[in-house]
Amino acid sequence: MRVLVRVAVAGVAVAAPWIVAAIAPGQQRYIVHVLIFTALFAALALSYDLIVGHVGALSLAHPAFFGVGAYTAAIASTRGGWPFLADVAGAVALAGLVAALAGIPLFRLTEHAFAVGTLGFALVAWIVATNWVDVTRGPLCITGIPKPVTTLPAWYWLALTALGLVLLLYRGMTTFRLGRAMHAVRDNEPLAAAAGIDPLRYRMLAFVVGGALAGGVGALYAHYLSVFCPEEMTVALTVNMLVIVFLGGVGTLRGVLVGAVLFTALPEILRLAPTWRLVIYGLLLLVIVIRSPEGLSGLVRGRAR
Amino acid sequence: MLADVLEQLVHGLTLGSMYAMVAAGLALMLGVARLINFAHGEFFMLGAYAFWYGYRELGLPYPLAGVLAVALMVVWGVVYQRTVIRAILPRSWHVQLIATLATSIVLTNLAIIVFGTQPKEVPTALSSTILDVGGFRLVWQRLLVLAGALAIFWGLHRFVSRTRAGRAMRAMSQNREACAVVGVDVQHVAMITFALSAALAAAAATLVSPLFNIFPDMGTGLTLKAFAAVVTGGFGYVNGAIAASFLIGITEALAGSYLSYAYKDAFAFIIMIGVLLWRPQGLFGRRLGI
Repeated sequence: MRVLVRVAVAGVAVAAPWIVAAIAPGQQRYIVHVLIFTALFAALALSYDLIVGHVGALSLAHPAFFGVGAYTAAIASTRGGWPFLADVAGAVALAGLVAALAGIPLFRLTEHAFAVGTLGFALVAWIVATNWVDVTRGPLCITGIPKPVTTLPAWYWLALTALGLVLLLYRGMTTFRLGRAMHAVRDNEPLAAAAGIDPLRYRMLAFVVGGALAGGVGALYAHYLSVFCPEEMTVALTVNMLVIVFLGGVGTLRGVLVGAVLFTALPEILRLAPTWRLVIYGLLLLVIVIRSPEGLSGLVRGRAR
Repeated sequence: MLADVLEQLVHGLTLGSMYAMVAAGLALMLGVARLINFAHGEFFMLGAYAFWYGYRELGLPYPLAGVLAVALMVVWGVVYQRTVIRAILPRSWHVQLIATLATSIVLTNLAIIVFGTQPKEVPTALSSTILDVGGFRLVWQRLLVLAGALAIFWGLHRFVSRTRAGRAMRAMSQNREACAVVGVDVQHVAMITFALSAALAAAAATLVSPLFNIFPDMGTGLTLKAFAAVVTGGFGYVNGAIAASFLIGITEALAGSYLSYAYKDAFAFIIMIGVLLWRPQGLFGRRLGI
């Protein structure tokens, strides 16, 4: 039964552009655009949940890795003339490398200090992106990033493929022995360490893989919009990630996917100015965090799964 | 050359005073309530707008507008404790961090909606007159900031060490459970701490606003720098946070003028990360206490 549901969901996801074309032909371009964003944000949120939901490290550095990936792809393709797949691979590798280098000092910090340290790191990354004009063109943005595919449905399938790959990796990392070790580190660090599980190793692994995947999503994002600006990697992106992950349910695949769909669909339904949208997201996040202990306590106490 | 260095040093001390007043509030909340208030920079922003409203819109004289701002922010501190902090105080630090971060996002964007993105200017008589001592030029307002900050730190020290409420705060910073056992109302002490921290932020805003502009997202960067100071100084240790704030302010002013202006905002974090690598408990870090 569960397998049937999964096949059905996957089938609907793959056939979405045709379904949209059949139901709302006049709105197809717009709806498919929203779907592409949904897929990209879902992939990014899964990469974030690997760190926040599975090893319990509340990192706020994700925009930095997203930005490193996006700028790598943007610069490699516009100035280096790299083909699409090569620059995406480069983006994944460089974002992973940056995550590894940042993780070495940051994981010396615990709890609050780790969160503040990662936030500071994200802020420094943003300051560098804004001011290193020779490389990033600063506030002028990198423009004319080539699009590997041109039609919207093709973009959708590309984003969906990326989401599928991230999803497989996410499943692979969070189940089996590896997943159990990560959850042990999240739920009870001293006990995990006593059982011979090195907490730092699993935290670093999740941090580097999460960062590398965020870089890959950043690269796709830059190619899709064909423009990338420093504003894309501010604290607002962290807030979006937190809303998606905590709205749906931290540390659960289904929760994060549901969160991503709600998050990208909600503003389209609400049709609000960005300022009001952030006010509502903030209030929503506040209420969820205070009123539904499910999401967060799962992160601390761990659920039997 | 010397006059130039001195001028930057005074700029650094002014910046340091601002960071210190904000960081002292953060350190108090962290020390007493074991809670990081990510919305603290927004307290400063709200205090600045309250001051602007009293000074420019109501036309109050400068000191009175400052008192109004401080009073309004004390009320805000109490409201914030009653609505958000009361609910999250017994919860895990993840919940506290996300709830206060969410508050900061709500406040920043509400400020954009209410006041617009156009910066507000609040020049005073002191901020437009210059003291000139043999080529060393200094805006009078900066002297007022330094004097005001010193007076405030002295008052804060007296409050924490001499009053009943201050004793309760110190007791709670050492052992919250024991306080609750002997009948200290933990939520009430948290309320006093938040009102006091909000008052500090409003006082800082009143002192420095005439030198800088007021805009809705001024809080985020300030929260982070004040945190850098709190972490550098030793978690939740108020005097350490104040000392680290001056270190950051002076470094920022000197490095911003002699190394790179564009990257001046990054120095606070570079100092923080450097100090944490060398001394993870912070420069003056101890285990407990404010």
